[in-house]
Amino acid sequence: MKSWASAAALAAVFVWANQACAAESIKIGLTGPFTGGSSSMGVSMRDGAKLAAAEINKAGGVLGRQLELVERDDEAKNEVGVQVTQELINKEGVVANLGYANTGVALASTRFYQEAEIPVIDNVATGSIVTRQFLPPEHKANYVFRNAANDKIQSGMIAEEAIKRQGFKKPAILADATNYGQLGQKDLTAALGTMGVKPVTIEKFNIGDTDMTAQVLRAKEAGADVILTYAIGPELAQIANAMGRQGWKVPLIGSWTLSMASFIDGSGANGEGAMMPQTFIQAGTTPRRKAFIESFQKTYNIDRMASPVSAAQGYDSVYLMAAAIAQAKSTDGRKVRAALENLEAKVEGVVTTYDKPFSATDHEAISANIPVFGVVKGGRVVLAHPEDLEGDKAIRTKTGS
Amino acid sequence: MNILAQLIVSGIVVGMIYGVIAFGYQLTFSTSKTLNFGQGEALTLGALVGLSLVWFLTARGLGIGLAYIVMLPLVLMFGLAQGAVVERLGVRQAIKNKSEAGWIMATIALGIIFRNIAENLWGRDALKFPSPLPEIAIVVGPVRIQPMEVVIVLGALAMMLAVEAFNRKSIFGKAVVATASDRDAAGLMGINTGLVITFSYALSSMAAAFAGVLIAPITLAGATMGGVLGLKAFAVAIIGGLSSGLGVVVGGLILGITETFTGYYISTGYKDVPGLVLLLLVLALKPTGLFGKAVIKKV
Repeated sequence: MKSWASAAALAAVFVWANQACAAESIKIGLTGPFTGGSSSMGVSMRDGAKLAAAEINKAGGVLGRQLELVERDDEAKNEVGVQVTQELINKEGVVANLGYANTGVALASTRFYQEAEIPVIDNVATGSIVTRQFLPPEHKANYVFRNAANDKIQSGMIAEEAIKRQGFKKPAILADATNYGQLGQKDLTAALGTMGVKPVTIEKFNIGDTDMTAQVLRAKEAGADVILTYAIGPELAQIANAMGRQGWKVPLIGSWTLSMASFIDGSGANGEGAMMPQTFIQAGTTPRRKAFIESFQKTYNIDRMASPVSAAQGYDSVYLMAAAIAQAKSTDGRKVRAALENLEAKVEGVVTTYDKPFSATDHEAISANIPVFGVVKGGRVVLAHPEDLEGDKAIRTKTGS
Repeated sequence: MNILAQLIVSGIVVGMIYGVIAFGYQLTFSTSKTLNFGQGEALTLGALVGLSLVWFLTARGLGIGLAYIVMLPLVLMFGLAQGAVVERLGVRQAIKNKSEAGWIMATIALGIIFRNIAENLWGRDALKFPSPLPEIAIVVGPVRIQPMEVVIVLGALAMMLAVEAFNRKSIFGKAVVATASDRDAAGLMGINTGLVITFSYALSSMAAAFAGVLIAPITLAGATMGGVLGLKAFAVAIIGGLSSGLGVVVGGLILGITETFTGYYISTGYKDVPGLVLLLLVLALKPTGLFGKAVIKKV
């Protein structure tokens, strides 16, 4: 009798264990700079992603299993990125990865996912080359996707806004000496070239430079009527402040980093009016966006999102990956990658509604028509041209290329 | 002409920042022939501690101007303490063992530790340091300058003059000078040379912390703000001469003005090059620095 009871108990344990196995969570890596100079992007991205995962799990998860985001801080350092990537693949056994705010880290880390045939969605880093490292036919398949506006798109938009929309004729480019700044500066010069405009001067500075007087004076003497930038928050603030000190007021238009809190807070009144491409602006222009912003504010107890673009893209990337896993009916990397390249269901995100966002040859979910221009006003980024998101234009979906 | 004047003024402001940090190198070198390679981090910590104090005081209803003035002596005291810690932990043992390189490693290591502490306590984003003065430029003839920049130049000069006067007039200062010229003899005269060296480190970090709160309102405060400045100041100390207080001021001005001139007249991409060329020239032609006194080392 006693042995029968224990056998039954043992059997019960087995059944329970089996069920637990069946309902084991789906592990997805979440990598970004959660500390460091670009942490405002990384942390916003992480918080957006966590919000999406919580919503999906509340609604029953994917394939009847819960999503589990395994967070790792890459500290915006290439070598740390590589280290946490190997840990995520070999120790945690993630089936997919989301993240990266720094092009260098993304380039160094995605190689390992490519080799392990695990799909990655880069949701913040913008370097044009990130999704183009492993193109077929040299590689069997490309496992790197992106739902952020890459630098080609951004530089094109900046040139379009400055030259065509606002009619400036003598742009000066100020870019930092990093890869981000110099590659962006090249993209920007090329974009201006297609409009027959040559920058009156191109100036350079280092990370940590405290005085931009020389750069600003050179741009002024060259007769610039608009300043185009490719740099990050603190140095951008120095540019705006140096212009303010010189009493020289020309518009500042640049890459999306002009929305960084360190620029907005560091430049104060001098930074008012700076414009930059944004895939998402903290404004409830659709019910879906409104709900996302309110839920984000409530969950994290904040008013101003540190980096709304990163938060929204982080949020959307989870929905995209979840949709692919659901379609693949599997967590097998090859099947999920194939599903991403041919997503049947429309994925309703907060940046846009993703209708076949990726294909075998195109791994960029964001096309040039999706981002809009934001402008710094009263310490926040608001819509520069409200007509851009009016009525049926509120949701801009991907076009041709 | 207008541009020239503006460049000189901007160069002077940058140069004074370099100079006041380099002054810290000079202080410790004159007493112990050692340097604190964590000088940049001492500046960072000073600025961040100052920022927290300003936050604390303004939250208690103090105006920003008053908060800044109340914060200053506290930050100076913090700098003194921080410098003393560096000397006790990193330098004392090395001097005792007559180690040639121990203090280099130790002060670099301490600098890294301090930077990590700053990153953990204040995060790694650059933070806005509220300016105690209006941020609108004043116009003097062809030159536009922010009030805070005037304060940087005057404050740095005042601080260096005060330390120099202290070293020349007070009995403690005489002990410093005595230790600087001959440590063993000073020891025989009953001067506690160990304490003098500790004190010189304290003063050196105080100078850096002071520089930190001076420049933070026009730059931003953050864990990495001191790194580049510490290196530039090191170049200044070499150019000006590590044994001369006047030398580092002039060295700072030379480097600052060279940078803005090169940036404007040649290319902003090569802004840092002439300063480094100058550094090499000085090392080749006058290794003790432009104002340095040659010391004959008796072996």
